[in-house]
Amino acid sequence: MANRGANRTRLLWVSLLVTSLFLITLDLRGINLINSIRTGSQSFLAPIQRVGSNVLSPFSNLFTDLSNFGRTNSKIDSLKTENEELRSQLIFNKNVLGELEQLKGVLDLAGQARFKVVAARVISKGGTGTFSETLVLDAGSDAGIKRDMTVIASAGLVGVVKSTTKSSAVVLLMSDPSFRIGVRIAGTQDMGILSGEGEGKFSLRMLSATGQLKPGDVLLSRGSSGDKPFVPGVPVGKVITIDNSTGQLTKQGRVMGFVDLNALGVVSVVVDSMGRNPGDALVPKAPAPAPTVTVFVTPKPSPTE
Amino acid sequence: MTFNRVPAIFATFLLLFLLQESLLNKIDFFIGGFSLYLAFFMAWIMQDERNSAVATGFIAGFIADLSPTLEAPFGLWTFILTAMSYVMATNVRAALDAELSPVVMSAVTVIGSSIALFSFVICGAILGQEVGSTSYVIQEIFGNALWTLLLSPLYVPIAIGVYRATLTARNR
Repeated sequence: MANRGANRTRLLWVSLLVTSLFLITLDLRGINLINSIRTGSQSFLAPIQRVGSNVLSPFSNLFTDLSNFGRTNSKIDSLKTENEELRSQLIFNKNVLGELEQLKGVLDLAGQARFKVVAARVISKGGTGTFSETLVLDAGSDAGIKRDMTVIASAGLVGVVKSTTKSSAVVLLMSDPSFRIGVRIAGTQDMGILSGEGEGKFSLRMLSATGQLKPGDVLLSRGSSGDKPFVPGVPVGKVITIDNSTGQLTKQGRVMGFVDLNALGVVSVVVDSMGRNPGDALVPKAPAPAPTVTVFVTPKPSPTE
Repeated sequence: MTFNRVPAIFATFLLLFLLQESLLNKIDFFIGGFSLYLAFFMAWIMQDERNSAVATGFIAGFIADLSPTLEAPFGLWTFILTAMSYVMATNVRAALDAELSPVVMSAVTVIGSSIALFSFVICGAILGQEVGSTSYVIQEIFGNALWTLLLSPLYVPIAIGVYRATLTARNR
């Protein structure tokens, strides 16, 4: 009797496993039904994610803030003197201000390059179970966003639009392991391929054996045919180390992205590059050195002397 | 397994999926991330009888595959969770005491979630998905295990309560 029960379970298990393998096969063969199931779920999720984003925005960096707790003790002490109403108001204002600053930055960058952009808020991120670095935006095809459009933030490249619905878009971040972009070094124009490696890490491989590479070199997007998926001239990152191991045909290096991909609130999607190539115009300016302050002290005789 | 439990199981995991996608994914967990969905699934499966566990694995996997940010082929989570559910409900459950203590429940949940994520990476890689460097994968799985363990006092009692609430009079 128990054996019959076990056999029935095994039969159910095998049938369901075969069904799941059938679903995988359909997806790998590019059957439309499977694609439309995910697009449908994205359309369904977008409004809920938007509400979730609004509810959670003051707390989304809670753990990072907690890790910096020791360093911000003095700031917390001063804040304790303020009442609860002012504190919550401050959190709200800071959040709005942060988003405004990001929006201003990204519009400045797009304005400098004369790109036509659509601004959008980040409403969700790809989770642990997906093993992909993605964002969900609150604007989609209704705002003119299409697949394979470049996404930028105030400091440079963020990623590329992977899919859209009417009111949302999924962006593949440049740190995703499957992300590749052709880049050129500002100044020398030597070309290379930048690859995402997850968690904000990037590697660069030069295309030519004679291509020169040194720490501090600024990388800009090379641009694609028809500006899809990448428009040219967008700052991508800065070379931090060079891999000098022998046996390599071309130089390789580690790169730090200009954009902090974990702290994105507002981004812009380049809907039209207007056929322009900004060249090296978008290279971030080095910060001006702080002026040295010299204080002269003239000793005064004390009244007792 | 009675078929009238299916809507309750579906609704529970759909609700969890919405919670995961709209709120938990937005939180920066400092190290890796936390999949409440997987943790809840493991805690649920440990209490279920075999037939029901296998069906729950299929339903939960199918819902997880709906994630729009997923790069892997549709059906991969369905495959992994269906396979895991059978192994958990037969081999693992049989090796444990009839009454599960909260500590055992937490430990099984942590190990089960980590194995599910690891299997997902391996199967994804076999199917051609790019999953990143080894250190990235280890960090993600370790981070998830850490948060699954730390937050187990919160979600394990809820999982037990919700599971019992979905039982029909005949199941009880």
